[in-house]
Amino acid sequence: MGAWWQDLYECAVDRMRQAVILGSSDTKRTIYLEKAAAQEGVSVTLVDWQNWETYHDLPDAEELLVKIDPPRWTSCSLAKLNQLADGYMHELEQLSRLAKCRAVTFLNEPSVIAGLLDKRACKERLQQAGLPVTETIRLSDCSNDGKLTVEMLLEEMRRQRVHQVFIKPVMGSGAAGVSALRWNARTGQMALYTCALLDADAGLINTKCLRRFSKAKDILPLLRQILALDCIIERWYPKAVHQGCSYDLRAVVQEGKVDFLLARLSKGGPITNLHLNNHPLEITALGLSEQLLEDIAILCRDCVKAYPGLRSAGIDILLEKGHMRPRIIEMNAQGDLIYQDIYHENVIYSHQARMIKNWLQMEALKEAL
Amino acid sequence: MQFELVEEDNINVSKQTYYYDYEEYEDDKGPATMIEEILAHDAFPKLDELVIGNWGAWDGSCQPIIDGIIDNKEKFSHIQKVFIGNMDYEACEVSWILQGNYSKLWAAMPQLRELTIKGSNELVLGEICHEELEALTIICGGLPVSVIQSIQNAKLPKLKKLLIFIGVENYGFDGNENTIKELLAHAQFPELTELGITDSEIQDELTEVVLDSKFMEQITTLDLSNGTLTDKGGALLLEKIPQYPNIRKLDIHHNYLSVNMAKKLEALPIEVDASEIEQSWAHGGRIYMNALLTE
Repeated sequence: MGAWWQDLYECAVDRMRQAVILGSSDTKRTIYLEKAAAQEGVSVTLVDWQNWETYHDLPDAEELLVKIDPPRWTSCSLAKLNQLADGYMHELEQLSRLAKCRAVTFLNEPSVIAGLLDKRACKERLQQAGLPVTETIRLSDCSNDGKLTVEMLLEEMRRQRVHQVFIKPVMGSGAAGVSALRWNARTGQMALYTCALLDADAGLINTKCLRRFSKAKDILPLLRQILALDCIIERWYPKAVHQGCSYDLRAVVQEGKVDFLLARLSKGGPITNLHLNNHPLEITALGLSEQLLEDIAILCRDCVKAYPGLRSAGIDILLEKGHMRPRIIEMNAQGDLIYQDIYHENVIYSHQARMIKNWLQMEALKEAL
Repeated sequence: MQFELVEEDNINVSKQTYYYDYEEYEDDKGPATMIEEILAHDAFPKLDELVIGNWGAWDGSCQPIIDGIIDNKEKFSHIQKVFIGNMDYEACEVSWILQGNYSKLWAAMPQLRELTIKGSNELVLGEICHEELEALTIICGGLPVSVIQSIQNAKLPKLKKLLIFIGVENYGFDGNENTIKELLAHAQFPELTELGITDSEIQDELTEVVLDSKFMEQITTLDLSNGTLTDKGGALLLEKIPQYPNIRKLDIHHNYLSVNMAKKLEALPIEVDASEIEQSWAHGGRIYMNALLTE
């Protein structure tokens, strides 16, 4: 940094322009962003979610750049999922409100974070933008106040000749409650892959272990509880396979650029989330064509464009087995934590640190002029 | 119809997988339409190996495909290797794959050298009599005794490789270790060099049966992988394998061995794959172990 910029930068700091992480201490998100920021010579201030929830205020600086990390959810009860999500949505609204009366810039706008938390709304928005997504199974029977029952789901699968679907809580993340159901309408055979479990004491809980159920007497009660969470039903596409493992991709896209692209391999089940001890693999090991990688990058950029105010996004992409057509599974405005990155080059948080630095410098320059 | 090029050098495609994706299946494509489309495919006359993937395998048997090959046997006379049912769990549960009756295929494809079948639901091999077949593989979550008996009585003078997944009772295996004992006692495969009795929840018992069989004198590769092999079976292997200098390769990957036993086996002066050591778990006073493919 030259002396001129150094002066401007220090001027900005002096005037209490601050970059803030709204998150939790001792999390990898915080630690590795702080590390990257230190390497860029900028400081970020951590505001703990607990403080925010108590005071609903941020540091007293003239202008703030805020990165919102997800709050810690310690409950494994899926019954509390919607309640927790509602509470989080409320906090995001408060943050949006604060920005109306104070000079606050967000790395990702709270309204966008909220928008992406809602899997149904996200999927609709991407479809409206003409982007390929994993298709939602639309129900012809809208009775029962739009609430989906097991019977309605099976009837719809029979009617549409769809024998396998994904069931995802609309507000879930980290594969919470995500289930994959197969049903053979001809024979009545069923198979359910899920991390959800019915516990005698705690009710429906999320675990980090994928189980397979094959008996209707085990599946139906579980399915009833899962569907009661308000779920979207998606077609289960056979995914591309590498050395006997099916996989999908996680891209981290920042400022329109794919900063990281990782394959998530699963040997024993259809759910590839990395929380489930699935195997990450460097994208180069897959031997995907340059053209396909370029198509994926363009698709990712287009997805982000559909959400103004989204500077950093995690995007899950499925490649259909055989013709390798990419489809967006879901997007996450807080999907930037990739262990395979932080333990190596920390590319993702380094980019965020540069964004923070640029913001500080730009503001400082503006001030100086 | 989807084509998946498995081996390709842009000039000679020798192996191809044919399958329907979900959209085609929903558009009423199925096993009855597949043979006609395969025959119409430009690359087909150049193939050595025909691989059939998903045909909507949970909803209908592959019998029309088998019958289609039989009805058009002259057009399939260049095919030396056939795999029917090549699909992973993303496409269909293995136990849901509706197989078919292969009784008439043996005579219709006298040039066949390798046959691989995935799925055992509705599988019938019938009376097997084939002069040229060198390899027979059946991948499934439970192999019925009726199929095992067909293999037991088979006339396969050139069979070099037999690989079967035994699986579990819930998905079709209705026998026990005596079933395999009888198979190995009665089967006559004078050219057999590779024997695989795999994917069993009684892998220790089957290991003992295999080690006591006549084939130990002639095989070079023994495959007892993907089952619940414990130190009990491991100790038997450690004791008996050195007695057979003809054995050059032992595959016992996916097992429940102790690390110590796996190391001892790997120290045998032959090629040994003892990888993928699984952990058993206890529940309700019982110890649980899974074979790899039990669905």
